[in-house]
Amino acid sequence: MDRIKRWPLPAGIAAVLIGLWAGPAEAQGLMGLSLSASSVTFPAADPDTTPVIAAPPLTITFYSLRRNWQITVIASGDLTSGSSSIPISNVSWTATPAPPFQDGVMSSTVAQLVASGNAWVYMTGTIFYSLVNSWTYNVGTYSVTITYTLSAV
Amino acid sequence: MRTHGLGVDLTERARRAAEPLGRLAAVSGPFLVLGAVVAGIVFPETPASGQSRTASHSASHSVVARSKLVLSSGSLLFPSADPDTVPEVAATGGALTIQVRATVSAGDPVTLTVVASDDLRSGLDAIPASALHWTGSGPGFAALGTMSAAVPQPVGNWSGSGAWTGLQTYLLTNSWSHPTGTFTTTLLYTLTTP
Repeated sequence: MDRIKRWPLPAGIAAVLIGLWAGPAEAQGLMGLSLSASSVTFPAADPDTTPVIAAPPLTITFYSLRRNWQITVIASGDLTSGSSSIPISNVSWTATPAPPFQDGVMSSTVAQLVASGNAWVYMTGTIFYSLVNSWTYNVGTYSVTITYTLSAV
Repeated sequence: MRTHGLGVDLTERARRAAEPLGRLAAVSGPFLVLGAVVAGIVFPETPASGQSRTASHSASHSVVARSKLVLSSGSLLFPSADPDTVPEVAATGGALTIQVRATVSAGDPVTLTVVASDDLRSGLDAIPASALHWTGSGPGFAALGTMSAAVPQPVGNWSGSGAWTGLQTYLLTNSWSHPTGTFTTTLLYTLTTP
């Protein structure tokens, strides 16, 4: 211990070399993604007075020490309640700041681009979800899982 | 130490051997991070396959039962006319537009009926409510109907949630036997959901 304390520079150089050696794998630890909430609720509303329902904003905090990165989002399916469903394409979002964030329409088949960049980044973005309201929805409590993926490209 | 046996002795040796590595890790942790960062600089174009982070949340929406009925007019007026030339008097203002909207459980019935509060009355004189009849159009709307002051008459039937718009064109059967006067009644529409 005393020797290491006495010679921190060589120990550090060794560690840097280890880091370099482990770089590509270690880089996986150089990306992070978190959401401000584990659930988002669209409140019930009269389709005539509220044709589009807004959900509380969702905050995305992420960082990437990979230069080229992107965030995509995909739903697990339609919003479902028993045998009834609401097309997931009725869910859309606007996002800030733009860029790197961009608006989009939810899909359960193709991951949709939410944000992208080509520089190291640590930032927070805000997603504003919207759901098209309709008289045609059947009574029920609908739910779906939405997954964001931050990846190096 | 040797008096405690070979096993203990080997364990201590192993602990002593590992001690410097642990201390190296403790002291050089920041350098490991630096190394990883440098790796990111040195190998920026490293194939990125498998490098990703995910985060999920649930989204939910509660749809509650609600219904709405909108009539385009609050009154119908049938003008005076010669029974010979106008045996069926149409209401001025044309057809009544009816908007029905309902959110119900899948497959639940939605029904619209109309009933007169009484016969058309002018003082003691009366014209039977059945003198009023209508033709209807629109998805789910009854094509024909005759007014009753006793039994609600079907105007439309639907199944499940939706929004429907139809037209109801009222006619009053004209007759020489109708007394003179201004006859009125009230038509009550009822939209029923479970």
